[in-house]
Amino acid sequence: MSANRWFATGNFFSAYRDEQRIFATHLDRAIFATFLTALFVWPLCFEVSSKNMLVLDNILVAMVAIIGLNLVTGFAGLISIGHAAFVGVGAYTLALLARTIGDSHVLITHAWPLMLLGCGGMGALFGAFVGLPALRLKHLYLAIATLSFQMIFQWTINFLPMFNQGQTISIGRVFWFGGEVSRKDHYFFWYYVALTIVVVFGLAVRNLLRSRYGRSLVAVRDNDRAADAMGMHPGLTKVYAFALAGFFAGVAGGLHAYLYRGAGIESFTLQQSITYLAMAIVGGLGTLTGAFWGPAAIRLLDLQVENLVEWLTAIMPANMNLATALKPLTFGLVIVLFLMFEPRGIANWWRICRSYVKLWPFRY
Amino acid sequence: MNSLVVSDVTLAFGGLYALSDVNLTIQAGLITSIIGPNGAGKTSMLNCISGFYHPTRGAIRFGERVLTRASPHQVSSWGIARAFQNIELFRGMTVLDNLMLARHRKLDYSFWHAFIYMGRASRQEAVNRAFVEEIIDFMELEPYRKHIVGGLSYGVQKRVEVARALTLEPQLLLLDEPMAGMNIEEKEDMVRFVLDIQKERHTTVVLVEHDLGVVMDISDQIYVLDFGQLIGSGRPEEVARDPKVIEAYIGEN
Ligand SMILES: Nc1ncnc2c1ncn2[C@@H]1O[C@H](COP(=O)(O)OP(=O)(O)OP(=O)(O)O)[C@@H](O)[C@H]1O
Ligand SMILES: [Mg+2]
Repeated sequence: MSANRWFATGNFFSAYRDEQRIFATHLDRAIFATFLTALFVWPLCFEVSSKNMLVLDNILVAMVAIIGLNLVTGFAGLISIGHAAFVGVGAYTLALLARTIGDSHVLITHAWPLMLLGCGGMGALFGAFVGLPALRLKHLYLAIATLSFQMIFQWTINFLPMFNQGQTISIGRVFWFGGEVSRKDHYFFWYYVALTIVVVFGLAVRNLLRSRYGRSLVAVRDNDRAADAMGMHPGLTKVYAFALAGFFAGVAGGLHAYLYRGAGIESFTLQQSITYLAMAIVGGLGTLTGAFWGPAAIRLLDLQVENLVEWLTAIMPANMNLATALKPLTFGLVIVLFLMFEPRGIANWWRICRSYVKLWPFRY
Repeated sequence: MNSLVVSDVTLAFGGLYALSDVNLTIQAGLITSIIGPNGAGKTSMLNCISGFYHPTRGAIRFGERVLTRASPHQVSSWGIARAFQNIELFRGMTVLDNLMLARHRKLDYSFWHAFIYMGRASRQEAVNRAFVEEIIDFMELEPYRKHIVGGLSYGVQKRVEVARALTLEPQLLLLDEPMAGMNIEEKEDMVRFVLDIQKERHTTVVLVEHDLGVVMDISDQIYVLDFGQLIGSGRPEEVARDPKVIEAYIGEN
């Protein structure tokens, strides 16, 4: 590596270890650190309403889920139409425990980081199980398997008294070093937890993707005959991809349950699975940053449409139907537009911006 | 080093016999060619050896190992690598990533190390990256290291195929028409690579090739297939004189 580690231009690597760095220059590292600090500090500097904080929490939780979905669908190329159900598995792991041992049991209120990992573990187990058909099936057939899991999940939750037949099962307030997290601080607290998880998982997955465990995912997507010839078991690799996605979904589910202080079926329906797919597509399938762009973009769009609907109903109350139809319509339109014009998602715009800046002051 | 023994292998697709009672011995350290007209069963033979097809009857052994029912990932981990006739690369990846994938089994750090990517993981990646670089050097792929494979010319893609198979560090390398569709210059390069693979890298080579000039020049042993049957075998000069072989080839024209 040459002397100036601040700019990319004019630099070259002289050891393979140098090339392994996530941040090639000090400048990249500094920008990333500043950005992270800003994310952690800003809620302390500005007055944020709980409502807005909830929106952010939601986005962060969705990011955790989409990191998982992106691994299985984007990187490993296996369409999953049941991702919300895996998130549900995480949430209901916690809910079921709360129902059995009481919603304010120490385990739930104090050992919540452990609980979140447990939710992830359960998600991974279910993911691996649902992924088993990958040993035999391919493409659409496999997608159908995930869809049936979604259906079975909804059915099970809705009909079994054990799960309160889909009605909300409540979960107690958690404790932090300062004692119980109060109503006022609740959303701020989970903002920090979710943000930390997103950052840690983001870096971990970034590492995973440049290791043998990440490359094998892309290998079975690109050409599973060749993957086989390279010594990978294509079927097992796919099962592993589903387990991995299940883990992230499970953690997201646990977070969701804590955030809303309960779990109910309406957050884990087929429609939510499709929303997750939309987030992954809009963000950019098969890119890590896509998992961050997608949820943010879709949730913000969601809010805008809600505002528009409100405004429309105010000026023409007779046209209620038009207004309610607007949401799925915009939604569908955005997905189709992205698939047609930018299948690589918002992440691609980000990539273009970055490479432009990186090469500065040269054009190419 | 191990020899590969194919005994009485028959491969049937319904009523069609792609291979019938074929016997071959691939001796360690040599270049053995399998030739024959189109549809003779050459690719089917390689598919049986590498585990993509399983013979209907017969057995295939590599040293002590029985390959007859093994799957491709097992066969490749036992030291038999293959380059495909119809290029089967990871098209969306760079040349480098394609070759790194061939090191999958050689990298044995744990999943948790991969997450942290320090110590073992990072060290092994660097060591294997150096090995990949050696192969890139050997196959003269330096200019394409970071190119996406799908965008490279056909001839270069063929070369990447061979490079990727070599990256598996095989004892036995199966090459399915590595020179097909190449111009004279690329062909000469490939011939040189094949010879170097045998001599410098001490790898046994099985070559399936239509260019008889090349085959006669570089093979130590030749097997001739026609309609799934072995119709001749021997040293190049013996095969060239064999009336049955000449007939099969003239019959084709
Ligand atoms: N999967 C399959 N299903 C049915 N028939 C097959 C299959 N694979 C090969 N065959 C048939 O087996 C015969 C031998 O095919 P193979 O590909 O082995 O020929 P080849 O010698 O490699 O020919 P070429 O020189 O054209 O590559 C052909 O008649 C082919 O149609
Ligand atoms: Mg062939």
